Amino acid sequence: MSALDKIQVREERLPPSKGQAQAGKGTNPLANVFDELINFARSRSLFMLHYCTGCGAIELPPAMTSRFDMERLGVQPMVSPRQADILLVTGYVSVKTLKRVILTYEQMSAPKYVIGICSCTVNGGMYWQSYATAKKLNDYLPVDIYIAGCMPRPEAVIAGLRDLIENIKHGEANSWKDYYQRYDHYLGNQQRLFGEDWQTPTNVIGEARHYGLFGPETLGAHTALLEQYQRPLDALDMKIEIPELQRFQRP
Amino acid sequence: MEWKTLALELVLMPLVAFIVGMAMVLMMRKIAAKLQRRVGPPLLQPLYDIVKLHAKQTQVSHGLIHEIGIVMAIGGYVAAETLLPVPGMNGIAAQGGLIALLYMTMIPSLGLALGVGQCANPNGSIGISRALTAMLAYDVPLVIVIFGVAFHYGTINLVDMIATQQAGGVATWGAAQMPLLAIAGLFAMQGMLGKQPFEIYVAPAEIATGPMVEMGGKFLGGLFVMQCFQLYTAAVLYVTLFLGGGENWATFLVKSFAVLAIPVTIAMVFPRYRTEDLVRLMWKWPVMLGLLGLAFILP
Repeated sequence: MSALDKIQVREERLPPSKGQAQAGKGTNPLANVFDELINFARSRSLFMLHYCTGCGAIELPPAMTSRFDMERLGVQPMVSPRQADILLVTGYVSVKTLKRVILTYEQMSAPKYVIGICSCTVNGGMYWQSYATAKKLNDYLPVDIYIAGCMPRPEAVIAGLRDLIENIKHGEANSWKDYYQRYDHYLGNQQRLFGEDWQTPTNVIGEARHYGLFGPETLGAHTALLEQYQRPLDALDMKIEIPELQRFQRP
Repeated sequence: MEWKTLALELVLMPLVAFIVGMAMVLMMRKIAAKLQRRVGPPLLQPLYDIVKLHAKQTQVSHGLIHEIGIVMAIGGYVAAETLLPVPGMNGIAAQGGLIALLYMTMIPSLGLALGVGQCANPNGSIGISRALTAMLAYDVPLVIVIFGVAFHYGTINLVDMIATQQAGGVATWGAAQMPLLAIAGLFAMQGMLGKQPFEIYVAPAEIATGPMVEMGGKFLGGLFVMQCFQLYTAAVLYVTLFLGGGENWATFLVKSFAVLAIPVTIAMVFPRYRTEDLVRLMWKWPVMLGLLGLAFILP
């Protein structure tokens, strides 16, 4: 029995929190104007970080350029996780790649959305029997939209983005909160795959506490394991590796 | 100068610059889209971007200097906007002048360098060192152009320059009197905007947008605001020096947008120069054109 078989798969997804939608009901009708404006701006301006892990990446250039032109929906590519809103995972994620995807995801600033493109992110696709491939992306990261297909055509990518835009406009794309509120669940799945000493430089629990996103399942057995193994982040020591310059260094 | 008009100008001029600047960003992106045969972004896209970035719920700050750097970057341009003469609001510009304006446009690059320094990202450091090198490159032709223009009009007061040009008609415009300096000024403006042939310090595919690599949320939003101001400043400065300023808001805006359309159109069809090529190009052709232009002006 391999380590992968022990992954407990949770089928149901938590319903999105209704806090924003019901806050001003029955009171001042203009109470939510500002929130609605922000939600609209969020839905119409999406910076996309495409983490091109697999073959689905080849469908993105036509979706971005003159034929299908994503920019008319306000979607444009960005290159660094700090700037991005959407993390596009295009295709299968191997165990090694998944570590990088999680590091990238945790560095993005919320609200952040994950889109899984291709069947491989839904259920492993044709890599179902591979020992080195993570099967369901939703076990490790909260996925907002899956665009299934092998590979989905650019029309399907655009349709998926439109669905995401609708969700954001109505304040329903809140799965990034789920990552904070059920961090124990996601961390547990990550630990089953990467070993129990798995850790990232981002302090997710601290962020959840700071931004008031603490849920009942943020802490648990797996975060206790994380604390046990966590090493503090040290700055890399500065070294000059150029042989010509090393003559000038003091011994 | 009465304090009421002073306060009004201090508030209104950056606000107008911001709104016009957003329209300029939209024009830039629309031109890029049309050249690539795309539809392009909707009308309010720059506004959506800025609102969205400032409304991010988790903000990653790298420390106090990171935040001060962004404030310096925007503040330098806000100060520069008040020194630019626009139709109907010349009060502060008449007190300032060309030299003060040039100082103000240097502050944003330095503020950005400070802020990026605190982020401690190697890509950012490489980007900012390239940006400061590029500043060194385009400042030489820019200073020659500014000196020539100031010598020609016999003043460093922008309001007086506009008055001289508007009194004599099109024949006395800077572009008609000093065509070589006007061309050199276009080169310098392209470098100042950091658009395509000279955008080695951004280089998204190579060093991940350089100075902007660690900027997310409100920090990137601040840089988007700065970009609006930057486009506006460059366009209005060029219009003031070479195209006779604006008699009224209609001609002023038409001239500014037309001036900006030139570098943007050039930018979208060119690849980029490397840093050393940029310095070589900037110190060779615009400087030669500028010096030749100076030779025609000097008695």
